[in-house]
Amino acid sequence: MKYTTFNQQSTNPLVEPMFFGNPVNVARYDQQKHAIFEKLIEKQISFFWRPEEVDVSRDRVDFQQLTDPEKHIFISNLKYQTLLDSVQGRSPNIAFLPIISLPELETWVETWSFFETIHSRSYTHILRNLFSDPSDIFADIVVNDEIKRRAADISKYYDDLIFATQLWQTLGEGEHTVNGETHVINMYELKKKLYLCMNSVNALEAIRFYVSFACTFAFAERKLMEGNSKIIRLIARDENLHLSSTQHVLNLWAKGKDDPEMAQIAEECKEEAKAIFMNAVAQEKEWADYLFKNGSMLGLNKEILCQYVEYIANQRMTAIGFDAPFNVESNPLPWMNNYLNSDNVQVAPQESEISSYLVGQIDSAVSEDDFADIEL
Amino acid sequence: MTDKDKVIHIDIVDVGTLATTTETNLLKALESAGVHIHYHCREGFCGACRTKLLDGDVTYSTDPLAFIDDDEILPCCCNPNGPLKIKVPL
Repeated sequence: MKYTTFNQQSTNPLVEPMFFGNPVNVARYDQQKHAIFEKLIEKQISFFWRPEEVDVSRDRVDFQQLTDPEKHIFISNLKYQTLLDSVQGRSPNIAFLPIISLPELETWVETWSFFETIHSRSYTHILRNLFSDPSDIFADIVVNDEIKRRAADISKYYDDLIFATQLWQTLGEGEHTVNGETHVINMYELKKKLYLCMNSVNALEAIRFYVSFACTFAFAERKLMEGNSKIIRLIARDENLHLSSTQHVLNLWAKGKDDPEMAQIAEECKEEAKAIFMNAVAQEKEWADYLFKNGSMLGLNKEILCQYVEYIANQRMTAIGFDAPFNVESNPLPWMNNYLNSDNVQVAPQESEISSYLVGQIDSAVSEDDFADIEL
Repeated sequence: MTDKDKVIHIDIVDVGTLATTTETNLLKALESAGVHIHYHCREGFCGACRTKLLDGDVTYSTDPLAFIDDDEILPCCCNPNGPLKIKVPL
């Protein structure tokens, strides 16, 4: 079915499914089929922030004092976060918007993606402060094998869905041969790709991001790189919300509260979806291996990070109706809770080191000694 | 003694019982009793503290945004209405 930016047919968005119904026409929010997405939009907008508001100037000094293994951990982690948000800043828009049928869900996806672009901009803000020329760091994201392997897995399901949608929108259902390769396009296949893609996004936001957050906050636990941690806290708060939204979508499908065919697909593809999570867990453990290859850091090592991956995977998988696959008794990184608590995210500008608010923004720390040579 | 000061008991499966009031946030009550429950946002949008409600009912102070099943509650943003029986994922 050809995509139209303004569907001229009268539709009733209250009976449309979330995806693969009629294209949206009027962006109206006075009535909602799934009110949760409108609530998520409101919450997300209330979280608005700008990376430039956070003073990261002290991180440069901290960074110079890190040991070489710690620098490797910090920079690799930042590269990985940059990759994740590069993907998330564009993919939900490109993959989901052309097939969404509800105005509130359409706007949620746009709001969600927009916040991911704030995250991407904040990595540049952090790196520009640490290096006079961060080009090498950015360039490495596309050539580093460890990162590339993750990128391939993260973008695979998106790319699959996007390509199938393009074929469907231009050629319709049927068997299409493109460059000698035959693709079967029908509603069932499209919906199956959508279901797997949503699971992959959920695994990304639910597990992969949290592994990277743990590394960032491990530095903050030692009072190092605190500007960076302040930014990642804001990012983590947003990601919590994004995670909620994909959990809602998956659960609405699985519980038959949206499209009955999606409920059937959710049942049929349960094992495949589970494999996506298990694969993400395995990859994150490999990543931990790479992070700590030169040595660990105080408070965090490969074993603890791997335990945390399993712990968080248990939590996330049970949230969408899967069994907990790992045997982890308790949270191996209990201090993570403090960083993820939204009460601890500084929101009042005058209370934090926000450079756009402070007058003497370079003086992020002043001690009594600074006045030692001043005589009256 | 008014109704809001009345002590009620929360039965936590496999853990024990704690005493609280209807005026106390459930997550805080659990924490002060030494039950280490998983949490992140404490505002009802992340779902980290998702808990099974086996008996009783609660009132939400904030509309929960995280997905919760029909038999689940988010202790971070609710108060018990009376005695509860819950199962906390530890």
